Amino acid sequence: MAQVEKQPTLGDRLQSLPKWMLYLILIVVMSIPLVFMKGCKVPGKPEESTVDLFYKLMTLPEGSTVLLSSDWTNSTAGESAGQFDSLMRILMRKNIKVCIFTSADPQAPQVARDELMVLNEERKKEGDKPYEQWNDYLILGYFPNAEGTLNAIRSNVRKAFDGKKKLPPGETVPRDVFLSPVLQNIKRVEDFQMVLVITASKTSNITIERLSDKLSADGKLGMMVTGVMGPETQVYYASGQLVGLSKGLKGVFELEQMMAKGLNNPDFATAEIRSEKYKDTPIQGFPGKQNEGKGTKYYPTLHFALGLLILAVIIGNIGMAMSRRQGVEK
Amino acid sequence: MNFDLLKLICGALGTIGLYTVLYRENKFYRFFEHVFLGLAVGYTCVALWTETLYDTWWTKMVGTPADGTEPGTPGYWVWIILLPIGLMGYFVFSKKHNWMSRIPIGIILGLWSGQQIQVWWNRYGPQINGSMKPILPTATDSFTKPVTAALTPDQVAQVNAQVYPSQAISNLIFIFTLLSVLSYFLFSIDAKNKVVRFMSTSGRWLLMVGFGAIFGSTVMMRFSLLIDRLNFIWVEFLQKGILGQ
Amino acid sequence: MNLFLQAQPSFWNAPSYSGELWIKLLLGLAVGVGLIFALMAAPVQVRRPIVAAVTFISGLFYVLFYFWPNPVQRQDGQLPRDFVENVGFQLEDAVQVVVPITNILTALLLGLGIYSLFRIHFRKVSKMQRDWGFSLVLLGSMFAMIIFGYWDWITTHGPNEVLMESRSNWGFANYGRDLLFNGILQQMDAAMFSLIAFFILSAAYRAFRVRSVEATIMLLTALIMMLSLMGAVTYFVDTKMLGDPRPDSMLFNFTLTEVAKWIKDTFQTSSLRGIDFGVGIGALAMGLRLWLSLERQGAGA
Repeated sequence: MAQVEKQPTLGDRLQSLPKWMLYLILIVVMSIPLVFMKGCKVPGKPEESTVDLFYKLMTLPEGSTVLLSSDWTNSTAGESAGQFDSLMRILMRKNIKVCIFTSADPQAPQVARDELMVLNEERKKEGDKPYEQWNDYLILGYFPNAEGTLNAIRSNVRKAFDGKKKLPPGETVPRDVFLSPVLQNIKRVEDFQMVLVITASKTSNITIERLSDKLSADGKLGMMVTGVMGPETQVYYASGQLVGLSKGLKGVFELEQMMAKGLNNPDFATAEIRSEKYKDTPIQGFPGKQNEGKGTKYYPTLHFALGLLILAVIIGNIGMAMSRRQGVEK
Repeated sequence: MNFDLLKLICGALGTIGLYTVLYRENKFYRFFEHVFLGLAVGYTCVALWTETLYDTWWTKMVGTPADGTEPGTPGYWVWIILLPIGLMGYFVFSKKHNWMSRIPIGIILGLWSGQQIQVWWNRYGPQINGSMKPILPTATDSFTKPVTAALTPDQVAQVNAQVYPSQAISNLIFIFTLLSVLSYFLFSIDAKNKVVRFMSTSGRWLLMVGFGAIFGSTVMMRFSLLIDRLNFIWVEFLQKGILGQ
Repeated sequence: MNLFLQAQPSFWNAPSYSGELWIKLLLGLAVGVGLIFALMAAPVQVRRPIVAAVTFISGLFYVLFYFWPNPVQRQDGQLPRDFVENVGFQLEDAVQVVVPITNILTALLLGLGIYSLFRIHFRKVSKMQRDWGFSLVLLGSMFAMIIFGYWDWITTHGPNEVLMESRSNWGFANYGRDLLFNGILQQMDAAMFSLIAFFILSAAYRAFRVRSVEATIMLLTALIMMLSLMGAVTYFVDTKMLGDPRPDSMLFNFTLTEVAKWIKDTFQTSSLRGIDFGVGIGALAMGLRLWLSLERQGAGA
């Protein structure tokens, strides 16, 4: 018996665009704003969690020390690199010392090192003193067992980083890191003004489990996580375990905006970015400095990509509805 | 050719090579996939020594000699015992003695499991506490929480201490969602009880609201990574590297 | 545990790089190797109890560490007053030893994965099995990274550490490492993970359909959340369409920003917390089962 080949209807066609076509459209749609719309500014109102993080960072005492768990590599550079850059720009400009370690990926310390070199070049161009290892920051390396390491940090920071040596500038012999200006006054984890985690992995949970009872009550634990991890980390922010939280590319964009425009600056009534919670304490930001990074650069393109996804889903559903209607009519 | 341009060309070739899989699996993609894996494994070999074992193990074991004003530290030879214990893990490839590989794994698993009771409370205690939200309003002068912008700190504190009807409704939904999702997971058996069934069905629906929200964030992250790559190809490599703009 | 901490000369330590230290290290290694041979000769019936005992003792450390009274505001050099305080001090000091042990063992076990991969691809190349050329590429790039990685570390580690932060002082090894690590590995790392964006678009287009109540709820929420992630859209809806309502007006609660915030605070957080509680209870039960070697997948099973 000869089979009559069924002609695909418009509904069927709308539901079955070939993969290569979708991929190509995605590349084209994302490339246009990146190449032809440079410098395009889009508005955006910062989320409460990002405002809290920014406020906390901007009110850290100058010269104090923070502990940074830098648990990211280039695999999430689209979000994490922007988070690292904006965080380090704030800390460097406020002359805050940073002790960096990682327990997520062996590549992470080198990635942080290289990123700091780029930021130092930027500081030189702006006429600021480059951040020096030993005097201003320390990168203590990779600790493969995150659970044990964070337990040790919780118990006694000196014991957790025991044996680590770094070379002071102008000397030839590496010395114990606890002799450095960064860590000389640190014994317990509570001695850090803040503990920050930039992560694309589960180290956020491990940090909460081991450090939150020591830090959260004093508002000393903050995180910068990827978009995927945003919702699950939001849970900790909602319960007060985190003082602030920046989530994904939008979080970076929001931080960069506040770095440029300030918060409640010059006052709550006339400020471009406002927060009722901090209405009595305006934060100036860093006008005239390099504040715009990956967040500002990539955010317009994100609009196009999300718009395309929404459109694709709508087209697929219209196709399904048309096919169903035709099926019922037949 | 300068070094930066060479780096850009290598990076662009690697990126495009991996992207060819979008058309279909091909030899070009497999070549770059193996280069990627080889480099990643090679770097792990390097980093395990340079970032971890050198400071954490070797320096402790052999100490540091006195130099100038640095007094030096003695070496603690007992750390050497960890080498054979760690190497026991490699008996996993032996048919006869592979049980020995469980000894170092047992140490790691034991140390992990011993922490669970305390860390459970640290993680979930504040969350349980944060879920106990008031569901009855304490102020009825306004349906929603009043704006506090023009108020003094004392007045703000007074407003914050009250529960307004809109907050009470949101809190009720919050608690109902939490309980119904818990019910959906904990009573995964075919429950006959109508209340449990209602809670489980509600839990499934309310979970979908949560998952919908998560989907939005996930998409943002995935697109951000692609934006970064396209920026590298078009702007860093092509415009700045090749065209010198 | 203090044997690892005392700085004064004792049986447990020796001057750095001295002949005495090397002899002690060799003896220690011999003891370790002897332990391996002794375990190889262990009868079948004692093997499981050995692993279970090792797991239990390891877990017991942290159980005691958390449940034994902790020293509060302990001063350097302070002596314990009684047995309870003595154990508390010992446990606190032991963290300095236990944590490196976990890091060192984890690092050595990570090497297991590397060795396994090397073994598979080396065998493919040596026997010239199918696609052995790709395995050769993998091994070649792996050894190139190892050589340049260590060479770079040797030149940048120690007295030249600060000097090497400036590229003007770099040599062949440093350029080689930078090319392999930053020029190729990091770029490909980013490319590999970015591929998912294509698949997520394709999957959403094909699977995100209004077919059931659940799918409709999910789709609508996802739509609101995605729109709220777009600052230009929220600006247009909140300011242009709704006229930027005052925060004390009822309309303010229906701005896109507020609706998205409400969904996040009320539904997303609570549903995720519900899932998290379930996972947490499971992890706690699993932890206890692993510690007591009751879990079939555990080390002591």
